[in-house]
Amino acid sequence: MAELRGSHGKAKHHLLTQHFGTEGLATLKGYQKLGGYETLERALGMEPKALVDEVKASGLRGRGGAGFATGVKWSFMPPPDGGPRYVVVNADESEPGTSKDRYLMENSPHMVLEGILIAAFAVQSHQAWIYIRGEYDHPYQMLMTAIGELREAKILGDRPFGKDYALDIQVYRGHGAYICGEETALLESLEGKRAQPRSRPPYPAAKGAWARPTLLNNIETLATVPWIIKHGAAEYTKFGTEKNRGTRLLSVSGNIRKPGVYEIEIGVPFTHVIMELAGGPFEGRQIKAFWPGGSSAKVLPASRMDVTTDAEALAAADSMAGSGGCMVADDTACMVETTYRLLKFYAYESCGKCTPCRVGGNWAVRTVAKILAGEGSRLDLQILDKIQAGLQDGRCLCGLGDSAGWVVQSAMNHFPEEFEEHAVRHTCSVKRERAAASA
Amino acid sequence: MPDQPPQDGVTLTIDGRSVTVPKGTLVVEAAKLLSIEVPVFCYHHKLNPVGACRLCLVEISPGPPKPQTACTTPVAEGMTVRTNTAGAVAARADILEYELVNHPLDCPVCDKGGECPLQDYTFRHGYPTSRIDAPRLHFEKPVPLSDKIALDRERCVLCYRCTRYYDEIAWEQELTTDQRGVSSFITNQFDRPLQSIFSGNIIDLCPVGALTSRVWRFESRPWDMDHTASVCSKCAVGCNVTMWQRRHQLVRVTSHENDAVDDGWICDRGRFDYTEVNSPDRLRAPRVKGAHATWNDALDALLDGVRGKKLGISVRQDLTNEEALLLKRLVDGPWAGARVVMPRRTRIPAAEGETLHIVELERARCIVVIASDTADDVPVVNLRIKKAVSKHGARLILVHPDDLDLDRWPHGVHHVRPGAGGYAEALRDLRDHEYLKEGPVAVLYGDAQGSEDGGAIAAAAAGLAQAVGGKLMPLYRATNERGALALSLLGEETDLEGCEAVLIIGPGAPPASARFTAVWDFLLRPEHGEPDVLLPSPTFAEQQGSYTNLEGRVQFLRPPLHVEPPLRESWDVLLDIGQRLDAGLDFLGIVQIQKAAAQAAPALAALAGPPAPAAAPTAVLYGPARP
Repeated sequence: MAELRGSHGKAKHHLLTQHFGTEGLATLKGYQKLGGYETLERALGMEPKALVDEVKASGLRGRGGAGFATGVKWSFMPPPDGGPRYVVVNADESEPGTSKDRYLMENSPHMVLEGILIAAFAVQSHQAWIYIRGEYDHPYQMLMTAIGELREAKILGDRPFGKDYALDIQVYRGHGAYICGEETALLESLEGKRAQPRSRPPYPAAKGAWARPTLLNNIETLATVPWIIKHGAAEYTKFGTEKNRGTRLLSVSGNIRKPGVYEIEIGVPFTHVIMELAGGPFEGRQIKAFWPGGSSAKVLPASRMDVTTDAEALAAADSMAGSGGCMVADDTACMVETTYRLLKFYAYESCGKCTPCRVGGNWAVRTVAKILAGEGSRLDLQILDKIQAGLQDGRCLCGLGDSAGWVVQSAMNHFPEEFEEHAVRHTCSVKRERAAASA
Repeated sequence: MPDQPPQDGVTLTIDGRSVTVPKGTLVVEAAKLLSIEVPVFCYHHKLNPVGACRLCLVEISPGPPKPQTACTTPVAEGMTVRTNTAGAVAARADILEYELVNHPLDCPVCDKGGECPLQDYTFRHGYPTSRIDAPRLHFEKPVPLSDKIALDRERCVLCYRCTRYYDEIAWEQELTTDQRGVSSFITNQFDRPLQSIFSGNIIDLCPVGALTSRVWRFESRPWDMDHTASVCSKCAVGCNVTMWQRRHQLVRVTSHENDAVDDGWICDRGRFDYTEVNSPDRLRAPRVKGAHATWNDALDALLDGVRGKKLGISVRQDLTNEEALLLKRLVDGPWAGARVVMPRRTRIPAAEGETLHIVELERARCIVVIASDTADDVPVVNLRIKKAVSKHGARLILVHPDDLDLDRWPHGVHHVRPGAGGYAEALRDLRDHEYLKEGPVAVLYGDAQGSEDGGAIAAAAAGLAQAVGGKLMPLYRATNERGALALSLLGEETDLEGCEAVLIIGPGAPPASARFTAVWDFLLRPEHGEPDVLLPSPTFAEQQGSYTNLEGRVQFLRPPLHVEPPLRESWDVLLDIGQRLDAGLDFLGIVQIQKAAAQAAPALAALAGPPAPAAAPTAVLYGPARP
């Protein structure tokens, strides 16, 4: 049993984490004792379209980062033509600051698998693939054990629950590239090619894995499906905001007392998440900035902690809900250094396919390094600003380049004085204060 | 009359001008029709679009309010494209700036300088000044990809044209990308040198100076060269090539796109095997018994030598139609009874009437390839077969004892290995195969490299074609074999054994029985021995004339080099011989010979008209405007 650092079924809105911590939840027997796979059995007796409609009605939106309406995505799958079609589950959780999928897989692998199987039936696919991040060894082992149990129980196989509908799940381990979380790069990698995004259209629903119709969903998205089918869309819509139904997991990390994965009702403010759930800053420190949706989301200053966790509010605050990775920095963090660290990640993880991301990311890193080394000038700030603009708004083939641009843009936007200080006066007040405190 | 818009045309507006193009056309191609340049690196009209370089960003409405790639977006009715908005212009300039961040800017010593899209685009679409003061990233360079091709990774813009070409067009697994992000580079698979016979095309495809020909490297600047659009002389496919000369040297051969024949590709034989033209050992003047002689004396010596003896003539594979006609007149007249052979020719009999055209392969639903390793026999036809299979979904039946490169396609390939009954039995058993149920069927046949009776294979192939309603394509190997056969120049014999006097035109060894040997070639080769008479000949880069390719297409040579005296045109020398022998060869020039050839053989009727005016060579990079 993994150590529980986060929500586990005390509150009414703990839909996913309701049973977390229950002894034996990770086993098929334990999961079934709590009513597991009853929903799948019922779903297999339903019309696939009814399942799609139910998910559509629930207002569930993708939890991988883009926040696209899940039911609508399901309905994009073309009608069956007799050939293979796939459900590919994105468990390549590599966004810095995000660990919610791992929390789900380690605590309740069967909930994840049940969601996947319901989705597979809903879009009339017989074969699901889980693309799991290569570093996730423990979750991988748990999934494999759980899948073994399912095969033994004949829930996976030719006739699950005696229904004439074959179902199978395969697990594929990634090889350590952030870009594999991008859906088309994930498909390329799954097919055994270099993980580089494809140009869209065609979208995966038309031509996905092995050029066949493919539904791609995030682990958390599909893990939510059993609850929705079990309790009904109407029950789910009681949670969340008008446009953002339900609950979601936020992985909170950084300079806070209680980092962990917290299930929240969408719409609560970040003050609640950071100051209450995560315990707030360490003694004597102030929160300085936070990234509300993983490192790809634009950073917000502490003064904007009042913003709520729904996508609309975050978009209005010029950030995004993203993958639910909330990273918090306190006043010991130098924002130029932080930007440098994040930027290095994006430049390092660029796949190299498109020009702006390949060259621009690296150029930005070198420019910030120059500024940090005290060799910068106001011109470098202008160049940096130009580079970040050149990475955004469709210039790049996929979202990775945009994210690299956002890292710079938001940091320069909210903390201009720190960049100015480094580039023009060649000093760092944060570092000075740190030195003074330790002396 | 203006071109009629096609039935399923789509009308869109680009920069305020309206254009109608076929459905499915990409925006970048539609813009070409209006002469609007949308710069591209990764896009190439023969490769599948990928949208990797992002240089073709334009604004398209309806659509998201951000720039879109013109190379991946198909046109739509009523679409409005704007290439000249501030946003689109800045987007393209930014991409060009990115390409230059780590570019070595060694244009003064770069082979591509002067014909480099990166240079041209930077002038036309880039920023006039540089903001780049960061140190440039470095790679090991130049890296030899093979003994013919060098790779400069610092100049590379990673458009992936070369790797995509290898993947999509050549079906080879020799070139790949290693590392990722800004450290990505192109490299040989498993560090093995490129082996493919199609490797050279990546030089033409490369939009910068990253892939260069080691044969031409540092040889001349593009603006120092003249070029002509000619025809390759290395095999019977007849690919169109651009020949580049500088100071009376043939310095480079590149492809010259002709979709009817070569689809824009040439093989490495055509591209790199030209250096003999510039050899210092070139024969310039005739010799008799090893001593320099005048043409007059040499021709007299030749005629004296062959008089009264049993004559054998070996002709080079790229004998022009005109030379073939004159030789035919000679062996029908004064040299009656002479035996004529052509080394490297197949044993396929003369084709009767119209045969399948290369371009028709793309429409075939099933292609049967019999007794030929097409990659070796007819390389660029092999690429067309691959295109028909991979891009048009044709199915393939191979009848050959060995594994072939065409076997690499993972599905829809049926390989039959002829058994004891030979090809005839194998083809009879094939008639009911499911792939042959859906037409059109193309039946291509070679001669099994002479291991079986060519006539029997041809008859079996014809039988199969008749049974399934397919169209035949004989895969001749020698350059102008089909033209020589059309003029009935070549006999059944395969060698000159037993001939007392021999005239070797081109490469070839005299038989042991020869008491008199005359050699007519542009180099004296070891196999020639010590000929009694040695005549110099022009090369494919100098001679006038025409070839008939394996599909029967007559194509004119456009030599980039002059025939400089004392060298003489081969047809001129043959006329001289004819006049000395009173053979009635009183033609006043090559045009008259061509007219006579057109009358002599219906297959050569195209020779009656004057050659079409030389088209300007199409730079492979831009390509013709088409979907």
